[in-house]
Amino acid sequence: MAGQGDSSSSEKKSKEVMNDVSTFRAENLQNNMKVVYYSRTFLSIIGGAIAGILGLTGFMGFILYFIVMAITSIGLIAKAKFSLHSYFDCWNRIILDGFLGGLMSFVLFWTLAYDIVHIF
Amino acid sequence: MAEDLVLDTAIRDWVLIPLSVVMVLIGILRYFVSKLMRSFQVPDPKIVKEGHIHLFSSFTFRQVIVRARNLRGAANFIPPKSFRSRRVYFSNEKNLSMIIPQTLTFAWVNFFFSGFVAAKIPFPLTQRFRSMLQNGIDLSTVDVSYVSSRSWYFLNLFGLRGLFSLILGEENAMDDTQRMMQMGGFGFDPSKSLTAEKDGLDIVQHEWALPKFEHRAEAVLKKLVS
Repeated sequence: MAGQGDSSSSEKKSKEVMNDVSTFRAENLQNNMKVVYYSRTFLSIIGGAIAGILGLTGFMGFILYFIVMAITSIGLIAKAKFSLHSYFDCWNRIILDGFLGGLMSFVLFWTLAYDIVHIF
Repeated sequence: MAEDLVLDTAIRDWVLIPLSVVMVLIGILRYFVSKLMRSFQVPDPKIVKEGHIHLFSSFTFRQVIVRARNLRGAANFIPPKSFRSRRVYFSNEKNLSMIIPQTLTFAWVNFFFSGFVAAKIPFPLTQRFRSMLQNGIDLSTVDVSYVSSRSWYFLNLFGLRGLFSLILGEENAMDDTQRMMQMGGFGFDPSKSLTAEKDGLDIVQHEWALPKFEHRAEAVLKKLVS
């Protein structure tokens, strides 16, 4: 699964209700989190390269990052067929999880692409 | 002060790209070394009991991080005493086993690549960051966007984590908490990730989730039988 894009890994149902205590299948939940993380990282790298090549500076670049993250969230929610609670335990996970890590990768590749293309 | 500096092409060829390539290669090297070490060593329970830590003789830092994370995740399912002893072991070892490669690379960067403008970051920052980002450049009128290679090193350090987790599989991702992102600047503290992990371990409230599991099992069995 490592190295693949966002849509090639499947998410598994992670919640099983067992008599009175509802627990999550930890490994499936973790797998889903991994899928979210990989998708975000991959798309932030691509988004960084795009922002650099287009020559976006300052605020416009960060707006592109937020747009890419929103598209990622919407894509993941659509893949989970909108029944979020059978795959994740709370909303924050799918929306906020890889946000800051993705931001650093985005800025790195943004800087790299911008410098190579425009200041070379 | 919005004029564009024209920077030498040679800087791109000989600073930016080699630095990134070197950092990627060092990360890959660490991964394979740890995989090699892991296949030789089985974690020794005696080490845990005696609290004996061998710092430089083993490259098991990746293994340690994975085990610490497992410990954190599953903490609620083991009895309190063994959780505490494991926690102490991990806190002692992880603090010291990641600093070395980062320190060496940082010293190398500082020695060879100082005193010139290395890159331009595409977004503007305030004047407060000037001392942080332009340490080798002694002109105070240059735009803060033009940074030195030290800041390029830190940018790579944080940004390549995501790349490593993609190309090397999930165990290699350096664990990161919110604390790292709130660092007050790019102060030189390469042990931050380890401290963050250690603090995360400290914070975990140990609630033993299975104190009454015998009663629950009995209830389940009763329901099944009746």
